Amino acid sequence: MKDRLKDFVGEHRDDFDVYEPRPELWQEICQEISAKPKETTKVIKFSFGESFSFSGNMAFMRVAAAILLLIGCGLTLWVTKERTAEGNYTIAAVNQPAINKIAPELVEVEAYYTSQLKDKREELSEYDMKVLGLDEKRDIDREIARLDSSYIQLKQQLLTSPNSDKVMNAMIQNLQLRIEVLNRQLEVLQKIEKLQKQTTTEEPLSNETNV
Amino acid sequence: METSTYQDVNQHIVERCKGGDNRAQYELYKLYSKAMFNVSMRIINDYAEAEDVLQEAFISAFKNLHAYKSEASFGSWLKKIVVNASINAIRKRRAELVPMDERVAAEVADDITEDNDTEWQVENVRRAIQRLPDGYRVVLSLYLLEGYDHAEIGEILNVSESTSKSQYSRARKKLLEIMSAPHFAA
Repeated sequence: MKDRLKDFVGEHRDDFDVYEPRPELWQEICQEISAKPKETTKVIKFSFGESFSFSGNMAFMRVAAAILLLIGCGLTLWVTKERTAEGNYTIAAVNQPAINKIAPELVEVEAYYTSQLKDKREELSEYDMKVLGLDEKRDIDREIARLDSSYIQLKQQLLTSPNSDKVMNAMIQNLQLRIEVLNRQLEVLQKIEKLQKQTTTEEPLSNETNV
Repeated sequence: METSTYQDVNQHIVERCKGGDNRAQYELYKLYSKAMFNVSMRIINDYAEAEDVLQEAFISAFKNLHAYKSEASFGSWLKKIVVNASINAIRKRRAELVPMDERVAAEVADDITEDNDTEWQVENVRRAIQRLPDGYRVVLSLYLLEGYDHAEIGEILNVSESTSKSQYSRARKKLLEIMSAPHFAA
């Protein structure tokens, strides 16, 4: 479909632009765009009116930044304070630092025994646990778990009870008991091993005699 | 028409503007302000509002000049900004653009015949366009004067291409009706 109107407008396109914006409009635009820093090197070259408004902006930004920083610091301080206040009632949150204060020697003792326990466990793991019979193994595990939980209880008591020496001793005893249990287990295993060696050396002989 | 040569000439100025050259910015303003003001004026149909939009559009163009990749000419990039800003302004003013026109559409008589003998006058056509209701004026101006096709208009106004087409043909009818009114030429 031929559009006569479109052709007509196309022919006279330029005549349709009859309006002009006010000449002052450029000044207004200019002020708006130079309020934003365009080139850092040119900042100093600004005329007085513009540089004033620019520095005013900078000052405003600085104040805003300072206020934000203050609010941030205040908030973090307040939050940490709140948390430490709560910490006095819930032990778990500040377990480690508090123990360091009450019984500094405990950290060393704990480290010593845990490394001992680890060694024993490694030694044990070399043996075939099936030899002991499943039930017995389970009993030992249960015993160690019981010791574990009572140890955790003791550790918590250490923070609240005034008699920290007594609790400490109980804790050390607990650790020693655990090592004792593992030692016993080892002994049993070693005995079984010996017996097995004897039987294996004897068995072939008996077999031969039978045949 | 001469967009390719225009583009090459402006490329240099645009680069200087990107560097924050105030004089280059003024040159671009001088080149485009009148055309852009008329684009905005046709859409908004209000001198003060069109000027506000023009100011906003130039400021946002200078601030976002880094986003302008010279794939299109600077003029059409700037025009898109002006058109969008103008349409936003008119949308703020009138709650809805298209539904209003559906109502008006019913009033348009179908039997307006195009009188091939009448010679149109630019001034008459221009004034008649100004008298069109907002929705008609926008679609008709975008199509006839700003050189967008119906697909582009649909995209700009967030309507379908066929809506733009039917809006235009109604607007065109309405325009001829306005011009053929007995008291119009006066």
